[in-house]
Amino acid sequence: MFFHNLKYELLINLRAPALIAWLMIFPIFLGTVFKIGFGSIYETVDSFGSIPTAVVETKENEIFRSVVESVSEGDNKLLDVTFTDEENALRMLKDGDVKGIIYSGDKVTLTVVGKGIQETIIKSFIEQYNVYADIITDAVRNDPARAQDVIAALSADMTACREVPLTQGDPDHYAQYFYNLIAMVAIFGSVTGLHITETNQANMSALGARRNCSPTPKSASLTAALAGSFIAQAVCMTICVTFIQFALKIDFGERLPLVYAAAIIGGCLGVTMGFFIGSIGRLSSEVKNGIAMTVSMLCCFLSGLMVGNIKGLLAEKIPWFNNVNPVAIISDCFYCLNIYSDFDRFSFKMISMAVYIVVFTSLGIILSRGKKYASI
Amino acid sequence: MKNSVVKIDNLVKRYGDLTALDHLSLDIAEGEVFGLLGPNGSGKTTTINCLLSLLTYDKGDIELFGKKMSPTAYNIKKEIGVIMQNVAVFDELTVYENIDYFCGLYINDKAQRKQYVDEAVKFVGLEEFLKSRPKKLSGGLLRRLNIACGIAHKPKLIILDEPTVAVDPQSRNKILEGIEQLNREGATVIYTSHYMEEVEQICTRIAIMDKGKKIAEGTKDELKRMIRNTETMNIEIIDLPDEVRSKISVLPHVYNTEYDGSKLTVYCSGGKHNLTRVLGVLQEHELGFGRVYSELPTLNDVFLEITGKALRDKED
Amino acid sequence: MQVFNAFFKVLRSKLGLALIYIPVFIAMTIGLTFADNGGGVFEQERLNVCIFDEDATPLSSALCDFIGKRNDLVPLENDRDVIIDALYYGCVDYVLTIKSGYADKLSVGKTDELYESMRMHDTYSTVYMTQMLNEYANTVSAYIAGGNDAITAAGKAGEAMLKDAEVNTAKFDDNSGAVLTSTAALYFRFLVYALIGLTMSTLCPVLLAMSRKDIRYRTNCSGIRPNSYTLQILAGCVIYIIAIWAVFVAIGAVMNGGVFEGAQWIAVLNSFVFMLFTTMLTIFVSSFDPSINIINIITQVISIGMCFLSGVFIDQSMLGEGVLSAARFLPAYWYIRVNRMLEGSEPFDQNTLVLSIAIELGFAVVLAFMTLLIRRVRYGGMTVHKAQTSAACITE
Repeated sequence: MFFHNLKYELLINLRAPALIAWLMIFPIFLGTVFKIGFGSIYETVDSFGSIPTAVVETKENEIFRSVVESVSEGDNKLLDVTFTDEENALRMLKDGDVKGIIYSGDKVTLTVVGKGIQETIIKSFIEQYNVYADIITDAVRNDPARAQDVIAALSADMTACREVPLTQGDPDHYAQYFYNLIAMVAIFGSVTGLHITETNQANMSALGARRNCSPTPKSASLTAALAGSFIAQAVCMTICVTFIQFALKIDFGERLPLVYAAAIIGGCLGVTMGFFIGSIGRLSSEVKNGIAMTVSMLCCFLSGLMVGNIKGLLAEKIPWFNNVNPVAIISDCFYCLNIYSDFDRFSFKMISMAVYIVVFTSLGIILSRGKKYASI
Repeated sequence: MKNSVVKIDNLVKRYGDLTALDHLSLDIAEGEVFGLLGPNGSGKTTTINCLLSLLTYDKGDIELFGKKMSPTAYNIKKEIGVIMQNVAVFDELTVYENIDYFCGLYINDKAQRKQYVDEAVKFVGLEEFLKSRPKKLSGGLLRRLNIACGIAHKPKLIILDEPTVAVDPQSRNKILEGIEQLNREGATVIYTSHYMEEVEQICTRIAIMDKGKKIAEGTKDELKRMIRNTETMNIEIIDLPDEVRSKISVLPHVYNTEYDGSKLTVYCSGGKHNLTRVLGVLQEHELGFGRVYSELPTLNDVFLEITGKALRDKED
Repeated sequence: MQVFNAFFKVLRSKLGLALIYIPVFIAMTIGLTFADNGGGVFEQERLNVCIFDEDATPLSSALCDFIGKRNDLVPLENDRDVIIDALYYGCVDYVLTIKSGYADKLSVGKTDELYESMRMHDTYSTVYMTQMLNEYANTVSAYIAGGNDAITAAGKAGEAMLKDAEVNTAKFDDNSGAVLTSTAALYFRFLVYALIGLTMSTLCPVLLAMSRKDIRYRTNCSGIRPNSYTLQILAGCVIYIIAIWAVFVAIGAVMNGGVFEGAQWIAVLNSFVFMLFTTMLTIFVSSFDPSINIINIITQVISIGMCFLSGVFIDQSMLGEGVLSAARFLPAYWYIRVNRMLEGSEPFDQNTLVLSIAIELGFAVVLAFMTLLIRRVRYGGMTVHKAQTSAACITE
């Protein structure tokens, strides 16, 4: 009986591939968008390109000029400097050809338009110059004989701070967005879950009414329908993870099989959530759909899909929330696999998902089995 | 007395202020083709849905095969075949797969199921369309598929809810013949319709419903005997003087006349040679008339007389 | 006007659905506005730094004071998992351990491995932090070499390094600077997401109900011209969406701290034009008769995808040239450009402003024409014809 039902559930899924296809296309599309977007952030922020800067010398300042020249040479130059007069410099600044104008004279000052990262880099360059100028002045006033030692100290290797590597996995900040994307695909399994109730409830479709008249217990036909959706959703999740891992080259760490397992379980969680929502009350299928969508979106939002630091904020303010938000649980699975060497947290997240699945499934079946409807 | 298959006792179903079923009782015996006749909205489908335990109801008892019906009464459900008013098949599955799927909800044994499905296909004459999807079928064929899905498992009780709505005459005849055949093979049939001709044609017993109430029940002859009317005469005649009409009205057995300017309708109750007497009056006044025809009472007359309104408005 | 009237009758039956979506989107937009603490636009960004002082000497606390002046110090439990979580979720950007023996080593001019640092992300600010800490050690050591005692040296070093460079903001004639408060600017930025998502989620069900196959066939049989039909639907949609938009603008005024004034109305105009675009987009998409489930997924793809690429979720200044030039083909990019001018991140330029809004409008107009075209083809009898021929092949 179960396999008879399952066979046809799968066949129906296969014959109506539009929804499943969209569930597959959408992580591929959004994943690519993320990759392009974040890739370009690395380009602008995390690799120091040289910053176009204009220098206007209001008074001869030999030392500053030589310092500026030293940082605007070589492969890894900090600034891309144009020496020019004030009028031209302002025009360049206005047109966006340079990010800032350094006025060098008795005092070195900076003129900028915006307040982005490149402006900040120019500013800190000037500050560093000022510090060195201060030290030399101080040394000369104290004891000119020590000037050599001072310069030696200044030019000593910068080794005071040793950086300790954190993790075994990939500490890519933006990986979190991809984790959330997978979790989003998983939670959108709620759409297929909703569909189950629609074709199984007498008050939602003629098909549901016919199924209700058959001697197959509702729990049996629902379990088969759920299994069918699990399988379809598992395929979606597998494709999604495979694409993100192999096409977008987002590193999930060493434990890839577990990543797949977590994604698939997450997908099942999504399906059962939709199934549960579909089983409640006498709402129209459109409204149930709306509820499933908004709940999914809100969970994704709170897990940081749109703006990453929301999850961090929640972790600070309401620590328990991330352990309850299903999307956060799913995406944390990947994070735990990547960051922690032990399995404690990962197992906790997996168990949380399993609890959700069991609760949603049982509530859904309890709500819809042996049921008569007030109106059809 | 044959075994009772369906027993509905004092069933009441309300939707808010609206009483959809008002203390309805029915008793259907094994081997009957039982017709539920009534206009749209009279509560036929509601009765069926309550019977199948799809709907909650406010009062009353329903027993099927002598056992109380409930949503989890799977042993009872096993014996029922349902053909709903709305076509309920999967668009994604082919004709054969649809029948197999629904049959599989009742029959576990694969070999037996295959045989049953094949028989059902033959029964509704869809052999040529086994691999077609429902969307490609015409309305009549779709209805036949809908029926095949409901009866493939050879149920003892078949419930058909308006199976012939929007079906062409050929398909309709095929469906009606099929129902009679199923009945001959031993199935009890409950048939709802607002087409009195169909009900008259196939049903052994009929209940007429209106506004959620059963207003009459019996074989068609019993029903017709319940009313005064035994004969309705129609005479095409122009310029009928009132005095002549009054004369006709007082003839023996005539209990009512109607005249619309071109046609005189005379209702009679019992008696013989009524037509001769009416025509005699007309000749007496040297009035010419056109076509004359006389009808025996129909279920519509039964309904009309009991409720004071037509069963359905002309043709719908 | 029949179609127009019917539109609102259908709409009334779908209001419940809209009432589910609207509060959620309002909540998300407001949430985004307040959760985005700069998101990368920083003038001398303050980092959240956690310091474990194992040395605990006056010299090491001088270092702590120094770091604390420009950054926020966050206490953490000295547990590796706690630290990793805090770093991963960005509660802490930088973790520093001052090793014991710090004071002794620095006093004698040794500057190697005085402290250890942990960071999760190689962003500008954290790389800068490490550099600054290295410089600090060298600076203190240089002051000591110049004849100061360790504590004085630390004081002088701190003082010198904390001196800000004088930064002026250039004012050009047509540059009116920030027009919106930063909260309002962020709100209007994230409004893009809400407008796309909300328009599609609430309007599509109405449109799909209006264009259900049997209803469409029946409409086709009537005397109404396809263009007139589409225009009436269009008018209905715009009126409906204006109502929703007005709610969001009202909230925008609250974010702005009062009724809009002067150039602030540009933000309202900008969102109005963008709303026209999202409406046209919705009508366009629904012309293809997708199922409601598929609409939901398409909505996510379009809203999230466009927001990432055009600088809603990631600031435009952080996106690379390549992405930005591709984003020019997305109306949200132009919306954000206007918004950036209003928030003062980009020089205010009247020509760019007019051009940007015109381009947004252009997208809406193009979509409107494409919709008319598609509806003509799809609803103009072609589909009926096709459906009939295929049915005719099957009937006996």
